[in-house]
Amino acid sequence: MKKGLSRRNLFKYVGAGSATAVVAGCENKPEKLIPMLVPPTDYEYTPQTAYQYMTTCRECDAACGMMVTTREHRAQKAEGNPNHPLNQGALCAKGQASLQTLYNPSRHAYPLADGKKIPWQEGLQQFSALTQTAAGAIAYLGKPAVGSEGDFLDEWLQAAGGGKRVDFELLSQNSQVEANQIAFNRADVPEYAFEKAGLILNFSADFLETWGNPVENARRFADMHAYQKGNKNKFVHISPHVSLTGAKADRWVVINPGTEGLVALAIAAVIQQENGSHTFLKAYLESYSPENVAEETGVSAEAIRGLAKEALEHGPLLAIGGGNVSATKQSVETLVAVNILNAVSGALDKTLRFYNQTAVKKSTHQDLLELISDLDAGKIKLLIIDDSNPVYALPPSMGFAEAIKKTFVVSLASQKSETTHEANLVLPALTAYESWGDAFPRSGVKSIQQPVMSAVNTFDAKAREDILINTVQSIDKTAFSGNSNYLDFLQDKWSKIQRELGDTRSFENFWISILENGGIYEKPKFARTALSRKVTAVKVSSPELVGQEGLTLLPTTSLLLGDGSGANKPWLQEVPNPMSQIVWDSWVEINPDTAQKLGINDRAIIEVKTPHGSVQATAYYHFGIHRDAIAIPMGQGHQHSGEVADGFGINVMQLLPGEFDNAGNLSFVGVQAELKLINEKSYTVNTDGNARQLGREIAAATTVEELAHPENHGSAHKRPTEFYPDRSETAGYYKPYRWGMTIDLDRCNGCSACVVACYAENNIPVVGKIRTAIGREMSWIRMERYIEGYGDDFETRFSPMLCQQCGNAGCETVCPVYATYHNPEGLNAMIYNRCVGTRYCSNNCAYKVRRFNWFNYEFPAPLDQQLNSTITTREVGVMEKCTFCVQRIKTAKYDAKDLSRDLEDGEVLTACQQTCPTKAITFGNLMDPESKVAKSALRETADKRDRQYEVLAELNYKPAITYLKKVNTREVLGHNSENHDSHQNSENHG
Amino acid sequence: MGTTAEYNATAGKVVIDEHQGHPGIKATTLDYGQINDEMLAMLDKPRPSYYLLLLGFLMALGLGALSLAIQVDVGIGYSGISHPIAWGFYITNFVFWIGIGHAGTLISAVFYLTRAPWRTAIYRSAEAMTVFAVMTAGLFPLLHTGRPWLAYWLIPYPNERMLWVNFKSPLVWDVFAVTTYMSVSIMFFMLGLIPDMAILRDEAIRKGKKLKALIYAPMALAWRGTNHQWIHYMRGYLIFAALATPLVFSVHSIVSWDFAMSSVPGWHTTIFAPYFVAGAIFSGLSMVMTVLIPMRAVFGLQDYITNHVIQSVSKMIIFTSMIVGYAYASEFFIGYYSGSPFERAIFYYRPFGEMESWTLLGENQINFPQIAFWLMVFCNVIAPIPLWRWKIRNNALAVWIITIFVNIGMWFERFNIVGSSLQHEYDPAAWGEYWPTVVEVGITVGSFGFFFTLFTLFAKSLPPMAIMELKEATNPPMRNAAKGH
Repeated sequence: MKKGLSRRNLFKYVGAGSATAVVAGCENKPEKLIPMLVPPTDYEYTPQTAYQYMTTCRECDAACGMMVTTREHRAQKAEGNPNHPLNQGALCAKGQASLQTLYNPSRHAYPLADGKKIPWQEGLQQFSALTQTAAGAIAYLGKPAVGSEGDFLDEWLQAAGGGKRVDFELLSQNSQVEANQIAFNRADVPEYAFEKAGLILNFSADFLETWGNPVENARRFADMHAYQKGNKNKFVHISPHVSLTGAKADRWVVINPGTEGLVALAIAAVIQQENGSHTFLKAYLESYSPENVAEETGVSAEAIRGLAKEALEHGPLLAIGGGNVSATKQSVETLVAVNILNAVSGALDKTLRFYNQTAVKKSTHQDLLELISDLDAGKIKLLIIDDSNPVYALPPSMGFAEAIKKTFVVSLASQKSETTHEANLVLPALTAYESWGDAFPRSGVKSIQQPVMSAVNTFDAKAREDILINTVQSIDKTAFSGNSNYLDFLQDKWSKIQRELGDTRSFENFWISILENGGIYEKPKFARTALSRKVTAVKVSSPELVGQEGLTLLPTTSLLLGDGSGANKPWLQEVPNPMSQIVWDSWVEINPDTAQKLGINDRAIIEVKTPHGSVQATAYYHFGIHRDAIAIPMGQGHQHSGEVADGFGINVMQLLPGEFDNAGNLSFVGVQAELKLINEKSYTVNTDGNARQLGREIAAATTVEELAHPENHGSAHKRPTEFYPDRSETAGYYKPYRWGMTIDLDRCNGCSACVVACYAENNIPVVGKIRTAIGREMSWIRMERYIEGYGDDFETRFSPMLCQQCGNAGCETVCPVYATYHNPEGLNAMIYNRCVGTRYCSNNCAYKVRRFNWFNYEFPAPLDQQLNSTITTREVGVMEKCTFCVQRIKTAKYDAKDLSRDLEDGEVLTACQQTCPTKAITFGNLMDPESKVAKSALRETADKRDRQYEVLAELNYKPAITYLKKVNTREVLGHNSENHDSHQNSENHG
Repeated sequence: MGTTAEYNATAGKVVIDEHQGHPGIKATTLDYGQINDEMLAMLDKPRPSYYLLLLGFLMALGLGALSLAIQVDVGIGYSGISHPIAWGFYITNFVFWIGIGHAGTLISAVFYLTRAPWRTAIYRSAEAMTVFAVMTAGLFPLLHTGRPWLAYWLIPYPNERMLWVNFKSPLVWDVFAVTTYMSVSIMFFMLGLIPDMAILRDEAIRKGKKLKALIYAPMALAWRGTNHQWIHYMRGYLIFAALATPLVFSVHSIVSWDFAMSSVPGWHTTIFAPYFVAGAIFSGLSMVMTVLIPMRAVFGLQDYITNHVIQSVSKMIIFTSMIVGYAYASEFFIGYYSGSPFERAIFYYRPFGEMESWTLLGENQINFPQIAFWLMVFCNVIAPIPLWRWKIRNNALAVWIITIFVNIGMWFERFNIVGSSLQHEYDPAAWGEYWPTVVEVGITVGSFGFFFTLFTLFAKSLPPMAIMELKEATNPPMRNAAKGH
């Protein structure tokens, strides 16, 4: 999409503004369907037309801007707000799946008192009565406030007679904040300017998954790391575990669990010695010299010196720490060490910049523990919980589930969860799609959250804030200065913001402009920061996890399921975890060397036992884990979160002690686990047929050195001379469009947002675990993961595989009924109604991207309301596949036709391209030599190609997708490696 | 044609019969009346064991019908075929049954034209098998599609939907090949039946069985056995034989092109047409033996289906077994010689499973395709080797056992081609495994039930041997006398 506001969009947004005013006005009345024959008169509305509303994604507290497409008053597609500075139009997989928060069949449909349905009136009365009697002894436990709701809740608690508010966020950045306070006197999370760095040293942070704002991180990281004009910056992953983030690293430095801080200080020591900065650190750092820490960290002194040398040569450096894997009891010290490294290397104020703001203090897990003891002591009479799910997410040893039995729990949740299951009174809340709100994720960014549609008609829910206002006003009429709903409160807040901005428009105009843009985006103000001299007081030591009995347990975060809140969304369960390719399950990552020593086979069921609990899960062989550690992803093992979540996998939190670091944050790492083989085989489902690509160059890579010698690669891409003329020379074809795509594998990090976006856009059914087991998954994009090499020196490659829209397709010729054919714009069009279902096309597709409807799949209500109404759903016996979002192409073409012009480059975005945080996907018209896609595909100038390749080009299918090779900075010894002579003689290295 | 040579099983010597007749078919020394009586006796009221057998086959058929009903009702997803193995048991069965259907026309048409005299006793049954096997085979392309109720869209005919078929697709060729083959073999079968139908009609009238007469009479097409009719009949038969002969080779070639025309490694090969035809003859002749040897024992037809006939068929089986074996070897050689990593990989996979270097750590797994492959090699290449020995060839039981092996082997050969190639195609991330479900096994069992039910009914309702050809091969009643024997 072009930057700025096009005429078309302008009209849309204006429409959006007026529409939302109406939507907001109609409260929670049951939704009305508007028939075509009786057009609505109250406002302009055209059936089958997409209206886009700007709002804010509330799936995590990164608060990306979101643009929701609605048709027929139903939100059908979530996309990133292109104006939003954080995500710039992109969304992650969770954001894409936020539609299933809205339409989730396991939402609460009516108020419940002790599990029984009650009328709203009764529920509200009960709540009011409770609030009145519990005055002063109320606690509100909820997600950390990132916008005005913090003030709102404080005001509410005050009006209700006092109480306390505790934030609950399992994956919080409190340790980071604390470490920054110690090191820089700034209790805040800084901006990480990835793109300015020349080298990234990552100390176990999963910044492409759940750490910080993964969408923004991914974009900025790709800008830094992707190959550009013969140059590529490096990223070194220093960790006991290779996560999806680590998989993108140029090199993995294996360290003993919990020793990130020591490595950071050792590197800092060498750098300090070299550049002589921060002399007050000299003595402090000398005690952490590489030689001193080598044994404890498991990294040789030379290796550490090597890293320091690289940092000095390729600076500016950006060192990142945090995340679960380094969250030992000394997490704060570790992060201080990383801060020291940043400061010593001169990264401060360059790649690491603090905002000129005072951050809102969030409460910690320690505060939660206090709340638990208050609950135990009977000091809390009423506990209000929002959509957070602490009963599930907290280690059972903290005793939260038991403690809340001693009080009255009112849940204001929209989704069913373990927590609402325990609640005495459940008052269903609306989701972020249906209610007002705002978020201020960082300095200068104020993002509005507006209802994009009236509430989903199958759920009788009310806005959380409105329930609270209603309750408190039944006690005290003057509370909230008479504002009867949260929108009024919010508008008060925003009029204050308007005044602060010095905006002189009428508030109404200001408000509409906010709704149109999705918020206010100003350039952040930064403050200069210096390393505090007090850091020398921080003692970093090894937690000495290695060498003990058992294996160190590393609970890892899941990119898709997060802390477990994603588990009730079918898309997120169905989309394979990009690293393990496992769906609908949990697994235990274990190093093959360790596993074989213990006699545990890949995919065996093992019991993992810690002093705090035990679980049974599938062993998954992963080269990318320390030999004395195991990793288990979070997010599964639900019991009361709805059909989609319950009974799948295990909850790793059950294995953890309720221990904390100095910041009061849960310490995730530090417990040792014993493994026991239970069963040789498990029913774990993974979607990858094979982990290795056997040198077939499906996901190809090259190196910077190779690219520096163009004479080596140009000729490889020459097409064979053919007897028949190319389709582009045939009348009726490719005039003026031939749609094509390029996918830059160097930018792709496997985050799978494209996969979820495709599910959302194309009405792709979810088939479930058992059907996926026999290859019945319907996904049109497959995030292929290939592993190269062995042991610690392995490489992970990702390649999104979708229909290649071949110019010389195998599928087209073999279809006996022309159900698939080559359309004049180069698409392998698919006529679902014409398909008889011989499936020959699928057999003859070398890329295996066609999906067959083995059954009539259901979209259990109200998930069916999400279905994209511009395309069909498919019935049993029909083949389906990607057609480059042909519905989007059509819509754009019609609009262009109205203006009597051809489509311009960038006017059509496919769903996968649109949401890609790293902009790895380029789509457009290959016949237009000026288009971005033509320029990056370099189809006509084969000799100029360097990274471009077509997958399986030798088949001469002439795919319309050009892949750009991943660029490595090292040579990975693949399965032809000399270390593995036994594999050398395989027949498949043609 | 001089003397009749009969192989004496116990003596192991060739005994020259004084009488004229077809060599090796003892029955041709009988007279017309004997042949008539013995043949008609076969159509007498069946024994209870017959009904028991029929019930067994009907139950198998019922199981298939039930499985099919479930599948059509719920969706093709009840089968084990999936992504990427989109063709499994059904197409395997299709190719298998089409292959079985080759023997009949080969024996009745090709051997007729090449004047192989031993065909006389077995061609009728073989032809019936052809018709039934093609009927069975024809079911599979229908029931394997996702929307079988729309299968008629594969037929090009002017229609109001303005739709047409894609003549580039081998599946459309398949429709033509199979339907042509089916109609020609049915017509050929019916044509051959005409004089015999007249015999049955006359017999029914003689015995006063009106219903039988009513059924047989139309099929006899008013045959009276006049010289004029015989002249036309023989010309017609010859023309049909000439018409059917190319079809023997074309139909399975075209079926093979369903595979060879694709780009799937393991399918995309030029050897497929002759390879499939040889395999079809191999399996067809084996099935003929599998069915006729028990029938010979039950009806006491040793004079008709003599050891000589069995020996002749056995020789054909050895011959085609060698062709098939050569094709297997050739596939492997070309797989290696092509230099294509994909071809090499699939031909490594078929016998040995995953290559160590393919997997994460180098573990080797044996799967269904490997079992299928070694069964195929054993049954099709190794099991027929004993047939080189005269003694084995002359032992009906031994031949019967070997042909059962061949039937199994040929089914697995089809599976080996259809099923295993799809498991390991170009993109390793999209490799898959295939295990059939109960529904598929049910339908497969049902297809055998269908075939054998039809054949069992045939054996008691139509003359399983060509009475008129047997008579033709015997000395005319008066001629011996004239010669003074």
